[in-house]
Amino acid sequence: MTRRRPMTRAAQYVALAAYLVFLGFPLLWLLSMSLKSPRELASIAPQLIPKHFHWSNYSDALSEQGLLRAGLNSLLVAIASTALTIAVALPAAYALGRFKTRLRGIATGWILVSQLFPVVLIVIPLFMILRSLHLLNSLVGLTLVYVVWTLPFALWMLRGYVAALPPDLEEAAAVDGASRPRILVSIVLPLLRPGIVATAMFAFISSWNEFFFALVLLRGNAQTLPLSLSLFVGSEGQVSLGPLAAAAVLATIPSLLVFAVIQRRLTSGLLAGAVKG
Amino acid sequence: MRTRTTVALAAVATTAAALLSACSSSGGDSSGGKVTLRFQSLAFQKPTVAAVKTIVDTWNKAHPDIQVKLTQGSWDSIHDQLVTQFEGGTAPDIVHDDAADLAGFAQQGYLADLSGNLSSAVKNSVPKGVWDTVSQGGKIFAAPTLLQSYVVFANTDLLAKDHIAVPTGSTLTWDQLQSMAKQATTAGAHGLGWGLKSPTATMLTLGLNFGGKYFSGSGQDATVSVGDNENQVPQRIHAMAYDDKSIDPTSLTQSGTDVLPNFYAGKDAMVVGGNYVAQQITEQAPKNFHWAVLPPLAGTSADQAADPQVLAVSQASKHAKQATQFIDYFMSADSLAKVGEGDWLIPTTAAARDAVQSSTGGKSGWTQTLAGAQYQVSAPFQSVTNYPRWKDQIATPAFQQYLANKISLSDLDKKLSDGWKQVNS
Amino acid sequence: MTVTETPVTSEAARPAPRRRRRSANRSSRDAWVLVLPALIPVLILSVVPLARGVYLGFTDSRAGLGIKTHVIGFANFSKLWHNSLLLESFRIGLIWAVSVTLLQFLLALGLALLLNEDLRLRWLARTLALIPWAMSPVIVAILWKLLLSPTVGPIDITLNRLHISQTHINWLGDFNTALPAVIIVGVWVGMPQTTITLLAGLQGIPSELQEAAAVDGANTWDRFFHITLPHLRPIIFAITSLDFIWNFNSFGLVYVLTAGGPGGKTMLPMLFAYNEAFRYGNFGYAAAMGDVMVLVVVVFLGLYLRAGLRRSEA
Repeated sequence: MTRRRPMTRAAQYVALAAYLVFLGFPLLWLLSMSLKSPRELASIAPQLIPKHFHWSNYSDALSEQGLLRAGLNSLLVAIASTALTIAVALPAAYALGRFKTRLRGIATGWILVSQLFPVVLIVIPLFMILRSLHLLNSLVGLTLVYVVWTLPFALWMLRGYVAALPPDLEEAAAVDGASRPRILVSIVLPLLRPGIVATAMFAFISSWNEFFFALVLLRGNAQTLPLSLSLFVGSEGQVSLGPLAAAAVLATIPSLLVFAVIQRRLTSGLLAGAVKG
Repeated sequence: MRTRTTVALAAVATTAAALLSACSSSGGDSSGGKVTLRFQSLAFQKPTVAAVKTIVDTWNKAHPDIQVKLTQGSWDSIHDQLVTQFEGGTAPDIVHDDAADLAGFAQQGYLADLSGNLSSAVKNSVPKGVWDTVSQGGKIFAAPTLLQSYVVFANTDLLAKDHIAVPTGSTLTWDQLQSMAKQATTAGAHGLGWGLKSPTATMLTLGLNFGGKYFSGSGQDATVSVGDNENQVPQRIHAMAYDDKSIDPTSLTQSGTDVLPNFYAGKDAMVVGGNYVAQQITEQAPKNFHWAVLPPLAGTSADQAADPQVLAVSQASKHAKQATQFIDYFMSADSLAKVGEGDWLIPTTAAARDAVQSSTGGKSGWTQTLAGAQYQVSAPFQSVTNYPRWKDQIATPAFQQYLANKISLSDLDKKLSDGWKQVNS
Repeated sequence: MTVTETPVTSEAARPAPRRRRRSANRSSRDAWVLVLPALIPVLILSVVPLARGVYLGFTDSRAGLGIKTHVIGFANFSKLWHNSLLLESFRIGLIWAVSVTLLQFLLALGLALLLNEDLRLRWLARTLALIPWAMSPVIVAILWKLLLSPTVGPIDITLNRLHISQTHINWLGDFNTALPAVIIVGVWVGMPQTTITLLAGLQGIPSELQEAAAVDGANTWDRFFHITLPHLRPIIFAITSLDFIWNFNSFGLVYVLTAGGPGGKTMLPMLFAYNEAFRYGNFGYAAAMGDVMVLVVVVFLGLYLRAGLRRSEA
């Protein structure tokens, strides 16, 4: 790594801190809200540290609206759809990125239209299809829908990462006598790791946070986490703010944990020295 | 290559089509005489949720052959859910929503007619004005359960400080409100805070105070006329805000719940909101906060447009008769009273209202709240087909602009009437 | 987004033609094999609903029991053309999408560069940078509404104390500040996805190139413009175009923040289409709006990508 002057380093830390304040302060505020009593939440001079720690918000959140069960459901669906999405998108993205086939045009057309066309307008046709397949009100059906609807993004992104890889590497390995599958697994795959990790994070979070499909395609027995959270909101803007904030904090923690674990894999040291001249 | 591609695509498409043509079999809800009804309740407050659960449990024990399955929904998303569920035929047997929202679905034919199955006891215990809000073309599409009205909440300590007497008559006139607000406006406080971020409902509901109907006719042929009666409420609010400076102008852009913190802090002496706000005040106000509900607002009358919470039966339900039986039970005095108390809303039946009065002792403003029931009537705008579109696209922006003092009253009138021609084409 | 494939070097002249012919046949077949698992679920759950959605724009489909749908050709579209409110929402939508995408990209690029550096506690910084992503949209909108509240929000009070603003302003309710405020929240929400994508791209740049250039005397700016950016180009185009699409189509966030107000200042086109379909039950008319939205964005993106391609060939 290139060495930096101390002044530059200091400036970088300051800039990073500014970014993190902008991005992280809302969560801090949410945490603060989750520990406040209804009275304090309605006072006009809000302070970051609550006057009294109102832990019952957390016990309320956990006991109401089936939060834990919903969290488990969300976790299952998110992990399954992420794994499936990557498994399906990776080979397809490679094909679309490397090979000149008519599929490329068709795929691009589908990717664009599926991302562009307002999702809320296809929800009813999708609902009808799932109903005839008996996949309504099932987590399996929901997972399939998530996979199919995360695929366009996954394909688009992975194709970009594949395109950024110089083909010289594969050609060089082929010249050296390696078979195609071997090239794919031992050279291309490791190089794509940052891209795969980024796409996997996106697939996970899309599924974890998705609300509209879950609202329409599930029916009350099975709930995902966003649906449970919405139950803390009443009519006319009434909100059980304390328990909602507590539930939201609890809902955010798994995602942050997943990120903390996965983000290490974003680095790829393997490209250094891999390109020959 | 090309033929192979086409053949492959065709094969896949045919498989897909074959899978899609698999008919869905409608799930059997009754097996050997036992009927299961699905009931999605939107109850939100803890006591209400408990009350509804008790009602369902008691019913299930008493009726082993008609079991009710209770699921929890959210007010926020009920409309979207119903749109898809009605289109797909999977709506619950018993639907909980409010009358204004269900009116559109009723027009689309998705709700069963309850007039044949509702008990006459229930029919007689709810005033006709309220029945009008849930009737279309002579059919009853829902049973009204709870009402709400706009009331004025006052900080009695602040009023005492400003030597303003808390009115105790049967109604409170707008002129009285205006002068009270002016008197209560001091250097550190405004007389009135009013959350009018979504102004249309308030304007049209309270418009009836002065006979402002906005619409004449119904269905597709309704027309808009905005005249002196309709202008009373917007004009008075505008005057209070910009001439008297007694309404906190920031509050006009906030929602009803958002203005409460200023109320608790003594920055607004009074606030206007729905009855249910009383529940929030009880929970959130500081310990030494003393408040009261003022008598119902009145202009030439104290009428307000009713938009009750309702229970309806979906047209696609196979057990409309049993579902209506459950609704009857739900509306019995004790059950309805508990639900109303939990939600801080007014039960539609007199018997239930009496039950609430005796159970609460009229405290925390319940007496004035319950008194508002007699002024609830239906309004023309509730049976106008394109009302939601006019509300979203024309009325709400226009009222917001007027309340922000960006357009004049005549501009407002013009926008409201010209806009109707635009959206009703 | 086309990939310029570098030609095979002429080092191995004789095996090359045979390999090329073989790979031409194999590439189509390989492509199909690789794509097949995705095909059936995609067709059923995505292509069919999309096709129906697009098709509905040419019909008079409405909500209602037993209502029949008829094809009415372009009638919906001519109605759209005269709907001044819809056209206004397109204007706001484009302002919103361009502003959010641009700001998002610039800020995310800066953050990605920082996170690529060898700073201390990098793992913590990378995790915290993803906070907006980790939070459910249900709570994000409510949270920001509270943060920006003139009564219970810390932001307004802090700005007052720092004397940046004189009075209490309802940032989301004031006619002048609503759209900018909503844009800032939009940027906040979208930063993680852009940051992570760019960071992954930065990781793919061989450090040797940077070091070699440094040895040759290139300073930080030179290295940035001549090594980093060119390498990132495909990824930048991928993520900014996707960001633009998502931003243009977003409505859940703005819906909860302002419901399109005040006075229609933040009425986005998607909100329009959603209202038309779900609140008024005009599925056909709403689908026509969707079709037009697709067209508008495709044209926009087409121009954007073509400009990018031309620059890369220069």
